[in-house]
Amino acid sequence: MHTNAASSELFDNLRLELRRGCLVVAVLAQLYTEHYGYALRKALGDQGLAIDENTLYPLLRRLESQGLLVSQWREEEKRNKRFYRLSPLGEEVLPDLLEEWRQMTAALERILGGRGIASAAECGGPRKEEK
Amino acid sequence: MPTTNTDLIDRYLHAVKFWLPKAQQADIVAEIGEDLQSLVEEREAALGHTLDEDDVAVILKKRGSPLKVASSYLPQQRLINPAMLPVYRLVLKIVLCWVFVPLFAFVFLGPVLAFAHPGEMLLRCLVEYWRAAFMTVGMVTTVFALLDRYQVKFKHADDWNPRKLPRVPGTQDTMTRWNHLAGFIFGFAAAAFWVSLMWQRSEFAFSGGTRLILGPLWKQIYWPVLGLTLTGAFFDLLSSLSPRWTRVRSRVRIGIDVCGLVIVAALLKAGNFVEISGGNFSAADLANKVAWINGMIDWTVIAAGVITIFDAAGAARFLLRGKRAKPAAIPSAM
Repeated sequence: MHTNAASSELFDNLRLELRRGCLVVAVLAQLYTEHYGYALRKALGDQGLAIDENTLYPLLRRLESQGLLVSQWREEEKRNKRFYRLSPLGEEVLPDLLEEWRQMTAALERILGGRGIASAAECGGPRKEEK
Repeated sequence: MPTTNTDLIDRYLHAVKFWLPKAQQADIVAEIGEDLQSLVEEREAALGHTLDEDDVAVILKKRGSPLKVASSYLPQQRLINPAMLPVYRLVLKIVLCWVFVPLFAFVFLGPVLAFAHPGEMLLRCLVEYWRAAFMTVGMVTTVFALLDRYQVKFKHADDWNPRKLPRVPGTQDTMTRWNHLAGFIFGFAAAAFWVSLMWQRSEFAFSGGTRLILGPLWKQIYWPVLGLTLTGAFFDLLSSLSPRWTRVRSRVRIGIDVCGLVIVAALLKAGNFVEISGGNFSAADLANKVAWINGMIDWTVIAAGVITIFDAAGAARFLLRGKRAKPAAIPSAM
């Protein structure tokens, strides 16, 4: 039998796994236009995808090292800021990623629809434990 | 921004910098610093006043410890490739087994042969085992870490054939494995007992001056018995590691049993196992005691012979029936 703490930890781990891939897509998509780190985090948060600083900055560096992003230090409002944007390689990869994302979402929707689960609320909320 | 706030952020950045690789320190710290400054400015703009030290401390606390922040920038390192972990465990088990068993013979039996004090023997055993375990685990881990570091790929990982996979072990195999493991432990204990009891022994002295004098045959059979017991123990160990090695095992088992029966036959033929000297016994009493002890040893040897015959018969029956375990039925793929 799962305790509440164990169930909560399990949910957090699953959520983390679920978010990991989504964040990459979201960051790449957001960086079609140039942003510096703080502004990017704000922009993602404003659109409902809050992201921790300790996740975002290392992710940006990783995507840059993979050649998907380019960055540049530039002075703005009297402070040096690092601006990121999609690289040509990132522009090439992102549409494929988005297509993959859409296919996965569509498949998931079909699976959920096929089982009569239209939304989390209908199955009692995502955190509710089955008895 | 007040000096105290800047000071707090500077100290925080300095602490983060300490954990970062030199080549990236300046770049990463500048970016974190810029992010923190932006956050502070935004808060100040929202509140309409400058943040005090406590407010900045809350922000930094929320950001996480310097070590945690720095570690998020570091590559996720591993010592051993997770895909290689099962192989690593298997190699470690085999190597530890091959190190510990001979070590047991040298470290444990060695002092017994030299009549060392049991406490000293146990201490030496523990020290040597710990040292051997530490070195073995360290060496095997280092080899696997190097394999991972230099991206050595194993051909077998990709080039494999489903038809060559080992069959599914049945419960019979599991039982056999435990039987052999018990046989190994018993065999080693018997060898240790034999060595401690009989090494360079020609008599047993008892209180009252009574001495039990061993017949000459015991010296002749000392090494054969020890060798046979240790061979049986090692064989049981190997069999416990590979319980499906049945036909070869049966043949070797029969060989060991036949050698055992030869020793039993030699003992029974010799007959006169012990003599008694000393003590205040009458001649008739002494003769009775000697006869009783020799009779008991006689029966013990006969019992050992019968057990050996049964053991050999079991192995022979297995061979004659040609009972090689058939591959377990594998359900067809859906």
